[in-house]
Amino acid sequence: MQLALPMLLNALTLISILLMVAMGLAIIFGLMNIINLAHGEFVTIGAFTLVAVQAAGGDFWLGLILAPIVGYLFGLVLERVLISRIAQNPLHVILVTWGLSLIIQQALQLLFGPEPQRVTGPFPGSVTFGHIQYPAYRLFLIAFALATFALVIVALRRSRFGLDLRASIQSAEIASVMGVDPGKTNARAFALGAALAALAGVLLAPLTAVTAFMGVNYLARSFFVVLVGGAGTIGGVAAGSTIIGGLETFLTYQIPPTVAQAAVLGLAIVILRFRPRGILPA
Amino acid sequence: MTHALEQAGASGKAAPTARRLRPASIVAIVLVVLLALMPFVAEDYTVSNYRDVLLLALFALGLDLFWGKTGILSFGHATFFGLGAYGMAITTVRFGIDPAWAPLAGLALGVVLAAAVAFVVGFFILYGGVRGAYFTIVTLALAMIANQIAVGWSKVTGGDSGLIGVPPFSVPGISFAEPVAGFYLALGLLSVCLFMSLWILNGRTGLVLAAIRDDEIKARTLGYRTQFILLATFCTSAAMAGLAGAIYATGTGFVAPDLIALLLSTEVIVWVAVGGSGTLVGPVIGTILVWQLQERISSISYAAWPIAIGTFFILLVLVFPDGIPAYLVRLARRLRAGKGGKS
Repeated sequence: MQLALPMLLNALTLISILLMVAMGLAIIFGLMNIINLAHGEFVTIGAFTLVAVQAAGGDFWLGLILAPIVGYLFGLVLERVLISRIAQNPLHVILVTWGLSLIIQQALQLLFGPEPQRVTGPFPGSVTFGHIQYPAYRLFLIAFALATFALVIVALRRSRFGLDLRASIQSAEIASVMGVDPGKTNARAFALGAALAALAGVLLAPLTAVTAFMGVNYLARSFFVVLVGGAGTIGGVAAGSTIIGGLETFLTYQIPPTVAQAAVLGLAIVILRFRPRGILPA
Repeated sequence: MTHALEQAGASGKAAPTARRLRPASIVAIVLVVLLALMPFVAEDYTVSNYRDVLLLALFALGLDLFWGKTGILSFGHATFFGLGAYGMAITTVRFGIDPAWAPLAGLALGVVLAAAVAFVVGFFILYGGVRGAYFTIVTLALAMIANQIAVGWSKVTGGDSGLIGVPPFSVPGISFAEPVAGFYLALGLLSVCLFMSLWILNGRTGLVLAAIRDDEIKARTLGYRTQFILLATFCTSAAMAGLAGAIYATGTGFVAPDLIALLLSTEVIVWVAVGGSGTLVGPVIGTILVWQLQERISSISYAAWPIAIGTFFILLVLVFPDGIPAYLVRLARRLRAGKGGKS
């Protein structure tokens, strides 16, 4: 019993992190069908925005506000300049986004150096539940992720932009006849996905070693979250992160963490064999 | 597409006429002869470098067999190369078998391991209907899993520092420890695999694979067991990569987790793409060219090489989507046409 609550909270932390990272991918890959292998680097860019802000004397909250803006602008330019030209050919998208991710990794390492960066979280203390103490920052992260998730769902279901996006995915041609600009909508959706990933990077930064290669850790996992949950629905991301994050936390208590990560990815491949369209298909 | 299918149907009888010497075979023969002459003019150091490059070329040939012929990109092919290398290293370093037989046992374990993993993964995802981009993502994850195991399972794999002391390859009676002998071993294996692949794929099998690449459902409707054919090709491709990895480990004498990493998976895609995917002999040339380039660029800065690969991928898509040789051919044609127009 003493172990159960921290384990549950640890699982919730990881689930929230995966939820934050994969939400952006669920838009870019799940909805728009763009296989973005640079998604991990969007996360890294968010974390390094925080590093830069704190190095310049700003605090965590300024980083939390600035990172999604940086991510959004980066995504917007990237979609306009490169992705929109090649989006019809999945192989081309894979090669270009992977090339981009290699370039971003090395560029960040050249700029900031190879050693892990120092960042400070906003809540150093911990909260006590009965006998158990738990870091306050992690509780904040869980709440923040859930709130963002709710907001994104409402935005995609209720707003004009969400309607435009769903329409132009269903049929770009008919949407454009109805007065929607699919090009503009796609660019904004891609940028939104990048902004969410950058936001995830800021939230993640106080908990891990911030290096230029941190994003790679989240690339395969977030793709599996989207695939296992069911590409094409935002709700599936919650199911996917719960399965992947929950299993991984549980296994980490039994076997070394790297092996646990590998085992969960292996299991995800098996799940996809039997449910190729995910747990909650669109 | 229909063309390929009709030929596949008809070639049961017409096969002998289809096996004329094609340009790819001529290039392959010239290449192998030139390489075979190399030890007579080059120093030992260059020869042993080329031994490693030829094995990497064999690895690239393995990837091209699957990617080039089926159109499905595997992003985790270093998994199989690494399994071959680790299979060899673990057998020779950890198992304590009779040293005369250990390299052969290691070779067998490495190749079988690579083919078996390809079979299991391929069975799950190819029979599960996973194709195209989804296949690429799953194989990418496979390379990450394999790398994590190589780093994490340090009792067997040596963890981050890997395993040292892999002996040079030998069969009872013959040792390939000398650079020249090792070079001819690598060249021999490469040529056998290359000519076998060219010969088999020039015939009916090649046409069936082309038909699957063009339209798998149509090919299946015509009675071809497409999932089985894809799985068999994937396993062959993995076994070739495993073979290359196992011999590579005996050449360098050690294995480390970067033999089973994403960057190597990425590099092998570059080698194949530079040479032109689907040509089989192209990837061999591509590997040699890119390796020469890498030597130059890496000597400037360690960070420059990944940036060069990244830039190459973007250029590959935007400027020469059919591979550099096809681009050069088109460029030459356009130049010639331009000249003709002016005169």
